[in-house]
Amino acid sequence: MRMSSLILQTAVRFILPLTFLYAAYAALKGHNGPGGGFIAGLIASVGFCTYRMSYGDRAFHRLLPVHPRWLVFVGLGLAGAVASLPLLFGQPLLRSASTTLHLGGSEVHLVSSMAFDLGLLLVVVGVAVGMISRLGEELDR
Amino acid sequence: MTNDLLGLLVVIPLATSLATVALVRRPVPQRILGLVSLCSMLVLALSWLVRIRDGEVMVSQMGAWPAPFGITLVFDSLSGLLLCAGLLVTIACYVHGFSMVEPSTERRYFHPLMQLLIVGVNQSFLTGDLFNLFVAFEIMLMASYGLLAIGRTRRQMTQAYKYLLLNLVASTVFVITAGLVYGMTGTLNIADLARFVADRSNAGVPLPTGFTGLSVMLLVVFGLKGAFFPLWFWLPDTYHTCPISIAALFSGLLTKVGVYAVLRTFPLVFAAGDARDVVLPILAVSAGATMLLGVLGAVSQHNVRRILAVHVISQVGYMVFGISMMTTVGLAGALYYMIQHMVVKSSLFLCCGVMERHAGSDDLDEIGGLLKRHRWLGVAFFVAALSLVGVPPLSGFFGKLVIIRAGWTANWWLSAIGLVTGWLTLLSMLKIWTQGFWSPESGPRMNRGGDASGRVRCLRAAHTGIGILVVAAVLIGLAAEPIYDIAFHAAEQLTDPTTYIRAVDPLAAGSVLTASGGGG
Repeated sequence: MRMSSLILQTAVRFILPLTFLYAAYAALKGHNGPGGGFIAGLIASVGFCTYRMSYGDRAFHRLLPVHPRWLVFVGLGLAGAVASLPLLFGQPLLRSASTTLHLGGSEVHLVSSMAFDLGLLLVVVGVAVGMISRLGEELDR
Repeated sequence: MTNDLLGLLVVIPLATSLATVALVRRPVPQRILGLVSLCSMLVLALSWLVRIRDGEVMVSQMGAWPAPFGITLVFDSLSGLLLCAGLLVTIACYVHGFSMVEPSTERRYFHPLMQLLIVGVNQSFLTGDLFNLFVAFEIMLMASYGLLAIGRTRRQMTQAYKYLLLNLVASTVFVITAGLVYGMTGTLNIADLARFVADRSNAGVPLPTGFTGLSVMLLVVFGLKGAFFPLWFWLPDTYHTCPISIAALFSGLLTKVGVYAVLRTFPLVFAAGDARDVVLPILAVSAGATMLLGVLGAVSQHNVRRILAVHVISQVGYMVFGISMMTTVGLAGALYYMIQHMVVKSSLFLCCGVMERHAGSDDLDEIGGLLKRHRWLGVAFFVAALSLVGVPPLSGFFGKLVIIRAGWTANWWLSAIGLVTGWLTLLSMLKIWTQGFWSPESGPRMNRGGDASGRVRCLRAAHTGIGILVVAAVLIGLAAEPIYDIAFHAAEQLTDPTTYIRAVDPLAAGSVLTASGGGG
């Protein structure tokens, strides 16, 4: 499943950082607006998949040196840990804690559910990239 | 009462699933972890069930968002009983799997998938939210697809594929229906829905147009999962092709989750108002057809596994019969029957696994003389089979007694079908008994204790699994009264939703509580 045209390769070199940037924006925006870890994960995996399509499997392994299943593993572990941490403090599952940081005059609102969202992002990227790579391997044969 | 530890029943299996992924190449630590996880959940569930034996309801609001806005986990008598029975069955099947599941299958994520299945099943039993129920179904199904597919040949995969396709269709209909319910009522919380319905019926305001349609759509979804007539066709082939311990687990858990969903949502919400006149006759006719045609199908089969698999359908009919009355006694009978059925049916499947291993086949023509060589297997099968038929004092008797007696005044013809089904059940069990256990030894393919590749494997774990369930089946029969009491509390809370609504959503309950006992 490799479509190695020069135009695509050059374009992807610019598209990839942009998709990641947009994914990060969507992930951070998700706490109070439309967006969140799930959507951000899908956006990021679109970037990964176009990269894999244009540069092939080997270059892709240099970009993402671990098997996608470990992304799912780490993401699920992170999300599960953040979700169940409140149980230790006698709070229900998924309760989020928040704090406001003052950094040089600007206020940053930090919530623990951001870590949950990050876990979700990793799971979605892992699943999507893993499935598409697996299908790609079948086609490459 | 609030109990924020309810989430543990979802978190423990999820964490165990992750831990076993990390240990995927080492079967023994995975088995130990898995057993620890299942047993600790059973202990938790049992201790909570004892605490709520007077009919209280435990609630945990996820993320501390109050009821109609967040996800609520509810542990009432209904969920509690099913959770305990489900976990008990899972432990037995899991232990049985230690000697039955091929090592190659075990290395391919068998343990993580088992835990993931339990995440889904526990969440389905606990959740108090219609959309979350959908999510739980999906988790459960995803794990079950995996369990059906690992280590399978191409032909077996076609069966798994059929199962997958049907469930995808059902899930799609489910999520569409959930969307429509939200559009119509503005809520997906089951307690809030019950309040919505009760408010309307108390005020004499008719339910929104199309509510009946939603009820029927949900009935189709749950009916497909629960294998009601006429949506049962996927079941025999699916159960025929997977490893026997997994088939036993599926027969004990998966269809029951469908029945549970009907039991939870229909008396509280979807069988109200006009919908009642449509849903109840459908349920009644479906119950009769499921019972009778299911058992006829079972009698006509010639493989032990197929007989048992088709029997699952027939037994689901009794539960639907109990539900179709929508009375306290009927629902309590259905619930008690479900509990004992989960245990008994799985134990029969587990026995069947050992029979296959001893005789090399599950075709009744090829096996025989098992009683002479394996007396305790025969005893276990005999007890479980009689319990399935419903011989006193075994557990099946009480379930059938309650349902058939309650049904005699409401739908005497269904009770008659129930009795006929009982006799035919006896006939099909006798078929296995006489040909498999009593007949003289025959069969060209005797391999004593070897598996598919001819290796002899220790069956001690399999025997332990069978022992757990058969003892449990006898105990459920002997302890029929306390268990039936809890089931009765559960049924009372289903027919009169005030306790449930008050526990889940104290603020909204006011409007219902002032009216006379609620509707539903």
